[in-house]
Amino acid sequence: MQFGAVEAVSGVDLTVGAGQAVGLLGRNGAGKSTTMRVLAGVVPPTSGRVEVCGRDVRTEPIEVKRLVGYCPDVGGLVPRATPWEHLQLSARLRRLTDWEPQARDLLERFGLGDVAHRVTAGFSHGMSRRLSVVLAALHEPAVLLLDEPFDGVDPTGVEATMDVVDDARARGAAVLISTHLRDLAVQACSEVSVLRGGARVATVEAAAMAGEEGARAYRALLG
Amino acid sequence: MPTAPSSAEWRSAVADLRHLLWFRARTSRRRTARIAIATIGVVTAAAVIAPAWWPDRDAAAVARVEGLVPAYLLAIVALCIGSAVASGGGREVLARDAAAVHPVGPFTDHLGALVLAPLSAAWLLQTWCLLGATAWVAGPHPLALVLAEAVALLWVGCATALGQVVGWWVEWLRRGTRGVVVVRAFMAAAALVVGGSVTLARDAIGQLGGLPHPLPVLAVLLVALVALVILGGHAARLAARRPPRDEAHLESRSYPARRAARSDLRAFVRLDRGSVWRSVPVRRGVGFLTIAPGLVALAHPLPWDTLVVLPGLVVSGCVLLFGVNIWALDGRGMLWRETFPVAPSVPLLARGWVLAELLLGAGVLTILLGSIRAERPTAAYLVAAAAALVVVTGQALSGGLRWSARAPQAVDYRSARATPAPPLTMVGYSVRLALATTSTTMVLGALAGLGRTDLVVALSVILVAVSATRLVMVERRWADPQRRSRVVAAVSA
Repeated sequence: MQFGAVEAVSGVDLTVGAGQAVGLLGRNGAGKSTTMRVLAGVVPPTSGRVEVCGRDVRTEPIEVKRLVGYCPDVGGLVPRATPWEHLQLSARLRRLTDWEPQARDLLERFGLGDVAHRVTAGFSHGMSRRLSVVLAALHEPAVLLLDEPFDGVDPTGVEATMDVVDDARARGAAVLISTHLRDLAVQACSEVSVLRGGARVATVEAAAMAGEEGARAYRALLG
Repeated sequence: MPTAPSSAEWRSAVADLRHLLWFRARTSRRRTARIAIATIGVVTAAAVIAPAWWPDRDAAAVARVEGLVPAYLLAIVALCIGSAVASGGGREVLARDAAAVHPVGPFTDHLGALVLAPLSAAWLLQTWCLLGATAWVAGPHPLALVLAEAVALLWVGCATALGQVVGWWVEWLRRGTRGVVVVRAFMAAAALVVGGSVTLARDAIGQLGGLPHPLPVLAVLLVALVALVILGGHAARLAARRPPRDEAHLESRSYPARRAARSDLRAFVRLDRGSVWRSVPVRRGVGFLTIAPGLVALAHPLPWDTLVVLPGLVVSGCVLLFGVNIWALDGRGMLWRETFPVAPSVPLLARGWVLAELLLGAGVLTILLGSIRAERPTAAYLVAAAAALVVVTGQALSGGLRWSARAPQAVDYRSARATPAPPLTMVGYSVRLALATTSTTMVLGALAGLGRTDLVVALSVILVAVSATRLVMVERRWADPQRRSRVVAAVSA
């Protein structure tokens, strides 16, 4: 993936199976968010092959978008629309029926029930993150991409996000979580991949990244 | 707590402003900035020199222009006050969120707004008209010309500083208890008073031209300029002590849920309408641009050849509020919107629709207000007014969507003072729009004056076809995922 003269991501070979959750770790600028954007169909890859459920991101972007639920790393919310209006638009464009009970349940679980009809411009960072996860999960996608879902989120929000990940895995969805919070990645995922300088340097069992031993191993991989 | 700024505070404000302007200059495109500044300099010099040495100056022509000078002087005062009030205290040197972490005080903010005020097409065009008219009247006498132009420039400076003073005071009122209602009542009363006394004020200003020597006028204007700048600093400090009420109200109020939209396009249109009408700068700007020319036409009935030109001015002004960087309305939500499984043409069509309905609505309202006291129009003028509305909407729409895709920027529309692009870029956009729409509407008005409805229709069809072709090209470019991803990356930065 190239932006002008800058090669942002190169040599990321990553497979996430059905019912599996993989964590994406790495320093700032390692290429985690770019990888997520390519997988979500927001940024087309400049070279290489990216498939989501067997669909090529470059040639079948709309099909890919139908399969994916994406929580972007930055905001991801229209500032002058309410959470309910976000959910209405998402439900309409994804042809969801009887989605309202599920949407209300998600908003309550993420502590957003009271602000469902206020514009998101007045939301705190944590509230915005929580709503982004709700929007990604609403249509129960086959592939759930969560970019920094725990950033600035309170313990209740973290717990609700963990539940969303567990639910997705239980119904056979593939989950990819990009985060700086190693402990939470270990908790949510079965495997973690570490990116450095736009390339994957390792994929290990999540348990190998746990505790002090894991922290040392992670630091070594970061270089 | 004292509100009058001390000399130390002013010195500190000037130093801060210098740093902020340096920062802005470093982050703007240098080549574009140099071209814009050079163009402004050349046109200003031409406006001062060319009319004075124009070969065909005769006494009758000089007298005719001399009669117009008071109206120009008054118009620039009205423009400066109007734009400062509508933009909640003028332009920001640094966007509110970016400035929040720096100790930028209200005096710096005030001085910054004063420095940036000239970077507007309306301000520049009015000033050039005034300088040109002054040079025409003064003639090819270097000393008299320099003194007359110095008076004109000081007048413009005073008008700009007065605009800031009124802008800050109105902002202070607006941020108070029931501020929005108070300001609306105040503005309505002011419009009635000003509307009723325009002739009186114009005659009074006209008397200044009869003064035997311009030096006393220069001295008075210089003192007034300094006093108004200081007064503006005082007013800016008062306004800064109150939190912005409009923005807080829009962000904290509850918007009841509506029934689900019946099509993808309608769903996008609904979301986009919310983004436009819940944005403080857009609401205020549309209100000002629609109602102000209409009120002028109500106070002083305009002939139909002038009324035909008004939609061009209003539509150009409205598209500059957000239409030249239209995707920035979504902010970081653009990333989320790009994940929907729909053809890229659907959100583009929705955005264009919302912009077009706003432009057409503003233009129709202006013509309706203007027509209340105007004479009964001929059929040709009616057709020309309708055609002008459609043609300039097409021009503004195609221009806005083209520029939005070509030079997208991240903008925080939470602040009432936000503009969709940096000041110099805005000057470029506004001059190009004003030239296209004003020349078009003037030609249509002239053809209607000749009773040539057939030519009005024929020209309109050609111009609409040109705009439609440009819109089709915009749609084709928007279908390219690489181009779209660049826009997404820019506006969600």
